[in-house]
Amino acid sequence: MKISNFFIACFFGLLITGCQKNIGDEEKTGTVKITIRNTVKGNPMVLNTGNYTNSFGEQYNITKFKYYLSNVSVTPTPVNTFNGRYYLIDQSNPASLSFSFDAPENVYYSLTFLLGVDSARNVSGAQTGALDPLNDMFWTWNSGYIMAKMEGNSPQSPVINNKVEYHIGGFSGANSVLKNYGIAITNPTGIDVREGKISEIFIDADFDTWWQGVFNLKIAVNPVVTTPGTLAKSISDNYVRMFTITDIINY
Amino acid sequence: MKTRVIVFFYFAILLAATVISACKKNDAPQDETPYNPTYISLHIPAGWPTPPTDIFAGNRPTEEGFQLGKKLFYDGRLSKDGNFPCASCHQQFAAFATFDHDFSHGFNNAFTTRNAPGLFNLAWMTKFHHDGGINHIEVQPLAPLTAQNEMAETIENVLNKLKADTAYPKLFRYAFGSSEINSQRMLKALAQYMGTIVSSNSKYDKVQRGETAFTATELRGYNFFKAKCETCHKEPLFTDNSFRNTGLSVNPFLNDYGRMLITSNKNDSLKFKVPSLRNAALTFPYTHDGRIYSLGGVIDHYRSGIITTQPTLDPLLVNRIAITNAEKTDLLQFLNTLTDTTMTRNARFAQ
Repeated sequence: MKISNFFIACFFGLLITGCQKNIGDEEKTGTVKITIRNTVKGNPMVLNTGNYTNSFGEQYNITKFKYYLSNVSVTPTPVNTFNGRYYLIDQSNPASLSFSFDAPENVYYSLTFLLGVDSARNVSGAQTGALDPLNDMFWTWNSGYIMAKMEGNSPQSPVINNKVEYHIGGFSGANSVLKNYGIAITNPTGIDVREGKISEIFIDADFDTWWQGVFNLKIAVNPVVTTPGTLAKSISDNYVRMFTITDIINY
Repeated sequence: MKTRVIVFFYFAILLAATVISACKKNDAPQDETPYNPTYISLHIPAGWPTPPTDIFAGNRPTEEGFQLGKKLFYDGRLSKDGNFPCASCHQQFAAFATFDHDFSHGFNNAFTTRNAPGLFNLAWMTKFHHDGGINHIEVQPLAPLTAQNEMAETIENVLNKLKADTAYPKLFRYAFGSSEINSQRMLKALAQYMGTIVSSNSKYDKVQRGETAFTATELRGYNFFKAKCETCHKEPLFTDNSFRNTGLSVNPFLNDYGRMLITSNKNDSLKFKVPSLRNAALTFPYTHDGRIYSLGGVIDHYRSGIITTQPTLDPLLVNRIAITNAEKTDLLQFLNTLTDTTMTRNARFAQ
């Protein structure tokens, strides 16, 4: 009889711990919401009809603008700990411009993320979700993700239909275009993550940064870059300055 | 006393089962039959190396997944007009190469631009295509599926066709636990089929296992092979999976510079993956663009055809390879012992 009681007690003990979350041990979490606004020289990007001019006087429009943000974190979480958060930002899909994740309660003073898809995911076979090849961001002939993509037209482009196409990728070696971002928060209240609350971080991503900075990207000279290599690397060195935090609201 | 203990014990287990099932999320309608796949494993023949990477990491093969992959492999609906299943270019009787074709045929009377390789022992391969541009077996099918001169279809259309089919949702459920059809599952199923095709029962293999013996000619050919060919065509896979320039001229229609297209490194110019010599008698014509129609022709290339002025020519070939006519005959006899009809006639791999 005593033995049976013992068994039952054990079972119930196990069941209760297995079933319930250990509330006492668990950290409280709040929501971090990232809201992105793609811009050109500070103005909201308008696909197709927006007419833009780069720093070399070349006119262009933008028909596609997509890029991956991964491992999005509020630090002190180290930037190189991949947390499986992959987001495909697509200017043609408003729902993609905002996303949320949970973070432990704390006041954070830095936002970190990778522009692109970490190299491991580039060599690990078929993926799904944001990384599904259906999203038209995976090279089929030279395996790897297109980390950032811009397509458009320009009268200065000498190629067919005056196309401008920049498919920026390459995940290994000297020509890797992967860029880690760590943006310091200067706002004294920081990213104040509290249970039941939302900390919303507003980010501007300015496409104009692609044209210059480290490398002068001229449409007349390089209207199309669709392979990994030194050109893609140079463009990524330009767009490393693409993101700016414009506001943080804790509510 | 003892009985009561046992009764309580069973009671406790029953309760546990009830509570655990109550604990589970119940957010999707249950399929009629429980997910209970039969796991299968890659056959690694005795004496073979362990595959350099586990192509089935994250994709443990099951009989159901294999069967789904096989159905997909033979299904023309994966192509735009229904005429070009994977199997149209990868024919089992030709060791899954295209029999007697330098280039294969694709959508709208198009030619491919390279010779279709045989598909076997892929689990030992880390890079796919003649230029090694594909880094995982799961993403390989994306290339022919979407190439305009091959299957010419979009992944989205393929998935829509599979979803509209009466059989596929059920087969996806058997293989993956739910009837959801997505690109990842389709590609993983194809990998389970292609990746478990192993060719290891040629006469050569039987000789290695002591089940039979080479003829005197075959043995002379084998010894010559070991002396002159083995470095690149390494046993037991008969390839070292490296990329090498064997001194072929550049085809002016294709201007195919091979590995350099992938690495952008001029040192990789004109380098192509060393093909396995297994089933070589069935996979003619040879080289990346199928320009040599016979094995004898390939041997002739190595003894007299190599263009020795190409800067990236493999160092092993700068003096070509000295091969007498008698040695050529022996070598051909040996190469014929690499044909594995157990694999090419295996009903398990057939439609």
